[in-house]
Amino acid sequence: MKSLPFLTIILLAPAICAIIMAFIPKEQVNPIKWLAATGTFISLAMSAYLYGVYDTAAGGLQFVERVPWIKDLGVSYFLAVDGISLPMLLLTNMIGFSAVFASWNLESRHREFFILLCLLISGVMGTFIAHDIFIFLLFYEVVVIPIYIMVIIWGSSKRVTKEYAGMKLTIYLLVGSAFLLVGIIALFVKSIPILGEPNMSFAALAQAGNQMSAFDQKWLFALMLIGFGSLISMWPFHSWSPDGYAGAPTAVSMIHAGVLKKIGGYGLIKIALFSLPLGAKFWAPYMAALGIAGVAYAAFAALAQKDLKYIVGYSSVSHMGYVMLAIGTVNVIGINGAVANMFAHGVMAALFFSAIGVIYEKTKTRWIPDLGGLARQMPLLAVSFMLAAFASLGLPGLIGFIPEFTIFIAGFKAFGGFAVIAIGGIVITALYALRAGANTLFGPPREEYNNLRDIRGAELVPLAVLGLVLIAGGLLPSLLFDMVNSGVEPLMNQLDNALKIGGLI
Amino acid sequence: MPTPSITLEHYLILGAVLFGIGLFGVLTKKNAIAVLISIELMLCAVNINLLAFNKYITPEAFIGQIFAIFVITVAAAEVGVGLAIIIAIYRNRLNINLEDFDWLKW
Amino acid sequence: MQMDFSVIIPEIAMVSLGVLVLILGLILPKKSLPRLGWFTSFSLIGILALVVLNWNNVGTVSGGLYLIDQFSQFFKVIFLTAAILVVFGSMAYVDKHLGGQAEYYSILVFSTLGMMVMASANDFITMYLGLELMTISFIVLVCFRRNDSESLEAGMKYVLLAGISSAVLLYGLSLIYGIAGTVLVVEVGMILAVQQSLPLLLVGVVMLVAGLGFKIAAVPFHMWAPDVYQGAPTPITSFLAVGSKMASFAILIRIFVLGMFGVSLSWGILMAILAGVTIIIGNLVAIPQTNIKRLMAYSGIAQAGYILVGMVTASQAGVKAIMFYGFIYIFAVVGVFTAISYYYNLTGSDEIKDYAGLSQRSPLMAATMVVSMLTMAGIPPFAGFVGKFYLFMTVVENYLWLAIIGLIMSMVSVYYYLMVVLVMYRDRPQDSSPIVVSLPVRMTLIFTMLVSVVLGVYPGPLSEIINKAALSFFMH
Repeated sequence: MKSLPFLTIILLAPAICAIIMAFIPKEQVNPIKWLAATGTFISLAMSAYLYGVYDTAAGGLQFVERVPWIKDLGVSYFLAVDGISLPMLLLTNMIGFSAVFASWNLESRHREFFILLCLLISGVMGTFIAHDIFIFLLFYEVVVIPIYIMVIIWGSSKRVTKEYAGMKLTIYLLVGSAFLLVGIIALFVKSIPILGEPNMSFAALAQAGNQMSAFDQKWLFALMLIGFGSLISMWPFHSWSPDGYAGAPTAVSMIHAGVLKKIGGYGLIKIALFSLPLGAKFWAPYMAALGIAGVAYAAFAALAQKDLKYIVGYSSVSHMGYVMLAIGTVNVIGINGAVANMFAHGVMAALFFSAIGVIYEKTKTRWIPDLGGLARQMPLLAVSFMLAAFASLGLPGLIGFIPEFTIFIAGFKAFGGFAVIAIGGIVITALYALRAGANTLFGPPREEYNNLRDIRGAELVPLAVLGLVLIAGGLLPSLLFDMVNSGVEPLMNQLDNALKIGGLI
Repeated sequence: MPTPSITLEHYLILGAVLFGIGLFGVLTKKNAIAVLISIELMLCAVNINLLAFNKYITPEAFIGQIFAIFVITVAAAEVGVGLAIIIAIYRNRLNINLEDFDWLKW
Repeated sequence: MQMDFSVIIPEIAMVSLGVLVLILGLILPKKSLPRLGWFTSFSLIGILALVVLNWNNVGTVSGGLYLIDQFSQFFKVIFLTAAILVVFGSMAYVDKHLGGQAEYYSILVFSTLGMMVMASANDFITMYLGLELMTISFIVLVCFRRNDSESLEAGMKYVLLAGISSAVLLYGLSLIYGIAGTVLVVEVGMILAVQQSLPLLLVGVVMLVAGLGFKIAAVPFHMWAPDVYQGAPTPITSFLAVGSKMASFAILIRIFVLGMFGVSLSWGILMAILAGVTIIIGNLVAIPQTNIKRLMAYSGIAQAGYILVGMVTASQAGVKAIMFYGFIYIFAVVGVFTAISYYYNLTGSDEIKDYAGLSQRSPLMAATMVVSMLTMAGIPPFAGFVGKFYLFMTVVENYLWLAIIGLIMSMVSVYYYLMVVLVMYRDRPQDSSPIVVSLPVRMTLIFTMLVSVVLGVYPGPLSEIINKAALSFFMH
């Protein structure tokens, strides 16, 4: 049966809207905005549909589209989704759609902004649905340049200038990706004699990687760990993240913290872990240790911040620490937790940044001592802020709880007492998240903010979309976990087999 | 046959020395014309090499000699262009001292 | 001896075109001279079509001295494409700043002919002739603004350094000739394959590397490039950056990969070190530049380093990578320089700070510059990424350090490209009137940008063609 090329449509809808926008005169602001909204909505609706009809019982790759692309490199245009990439795809589109509305009140140069935003969203989606490593790489770096341009034009200079923030973000990630590229090229070159032909699909590389010597697997994994690790802001490669988010405009912060970072975790799991099991086994304790260090360090750092964006920036480093810890356990529960936590954190971080964006837009400050009592003037804003804060500290009933709990279980099983440090991190998270909320939203209202209007109209979209998911994911965790598990479990079984064989040799 | 006392090595050493002198001149001379002359010396060294090799290695074919003739011809063309530029630049600045050509960072 | 002249029809056509343009310049009235640009470019397109149509019409002329294979055909396509784009992009510049259209286009045609000869040359003498035809033509072109002191100074530096490098190269060639007893590259290859490694051979190899290193502007033989690039008329700078470099690579490949395959271990490591140093120095020195042409010169030096990476392994994959990268490199370089020279026409400045707000005055020019620069940096989805992928694939096994250096430095290069992007996109223009881009320039810009994008996303067919061409190179 020939079905629609769903994934291609999802991938290209925002990009095509971006191209159409280029031909609209730049004074026509409203058509441009609605075009961006339409493009992202198409992707969102279709990916939600796919999420609904994906057959979790069957698992594996579904909605496959595969066309040979570059023959001598064995590249094919290979799009597909499984239980790991589908949640990420949905997350991207939710955040992308919300980000369009979070930028609704942009002041200048609308056309350029929405073109770049749509290209960015398409690029991020591409990484999650490509199952050919070359196509994956194409999308992996595509996103860097739009982000840079968006930061330097629409960013804000507070503690660091936007130029510095943009450049740091860009160069950090690019240098990280250089290591990743070397690793992937080396993996590919070494796979050719094993497979007998060049083939860049994830599955083929995993098959070849599993047969490589332990030494090769170790250094290849190390290169990839640096590359993906710097994207997921693994401690000590995290320092771009708070600075970068602080300088970036709201939409970029949302997408970056919400999904872009997750490409690092996604790549570590889907490429590095499954292709190089022995390497993963070797580096797992180190990953976990770095993860725990990140959790603890970033939580304390967040405690000391007074700029709202820095708090969320460090908080996201801390949450990614959990993900690293979970990947470091290398067992089914841990990986499930890692993927679910990436999803959960994506939703809450995006909501957080959109709320902060609104605060900054209305009060022109993000500095906590200058804020207070906003809940009186803007109750709906307070709702979205506190929803994100509660989810971030893992309140049961919201989306953050189950994934973190899963990670603790896995971490405790794998590393025992060490994982306790990570659990300690959650206490600190509660402390800074609640304190930030209290000082910003509650307390005596300030007169200068009396005439501020609450969020309304288009500004409500992020709250509606992301808030709904936060609650739904908390109340019905099986919606997420069944999906993730259907992707993780078969792959982990293969991995276990590979490790057993490797152990025998 | 060449006289026994002069062998291929002698020619090669002569070529090498000439080439070295030319290179030295190129690196140290400050006057553009002197540099051009030094380049000519280096090309002479090349011609000596080519002819010597032709005589001792491939005496039955004229490859080296043909090569040398081409080198001479082309070198003449190159020097022609070089001198033209020197004249033009002299008109422009009344100076052909290389150290003074620093309008572009050297 | 029966000679098949049909295979060298493109070369014959080039000679005729060069002479014809010169004669037309004498007989045409002065006011119609600007039309010579159109005439030249369309004639070059015709010759390009001739080469493409005769793609499989391969053979040798003059008893193997002149070789037409798909390898050389491909390089000819590169040179002719570059020449066409340069002519298109330079018409406005020539009419406004240079004059002497007939001489300009005619010499440009002859330099292209020199490159074509270099690509096909199978013996040292022909190579040398092609090289000098190209170089001397370039010398004239570099100082074509003969009342402008900077242009003359650039020409002076170029003529002296070209002379030195030719002499060094010739000395190396004479030694190789002495050792092998022949100047035919293929025969040299066969003789050296069985010969013991001599100290004299080593000297010859070092001389060759030095001489050709000058031509491709590899560190430490690069110091002429920034000055000459800055002083030369901008269209010539772009032609110098692509044509001269790729033609030198054509003979570099011919001499080393074919002629010295047997001793490839001894020069492989030399090339690897040269490539590494070139990449590092080129990229680092580019960072503090404030003049866009100097910036592009240093970036061009770094690019030479990347292309050298393909030489290291002396393999078919390496040759193929060089050809692929060379092809996309034309479009990147010509795209950037066309925008630069057009902007210079309007504002009279090459300083980066004067590019403020270009994205609002002419989105097309700004976008082309961004796309071309990112192609050179190797950022997907632009073609440079695929090119670098091919290049570094060849060395990742044996020279992992080179791959790491190369890829990290290419990310560093993004830094200085982004500084230009910063100025173009963030700042507000002082004069915010939109720039109207003339037709030939607009065509060039759009075309180069499209090629960079299309080849980056879908390089498959080109890569197949180049694979066959690279294979043909080893068939002798």
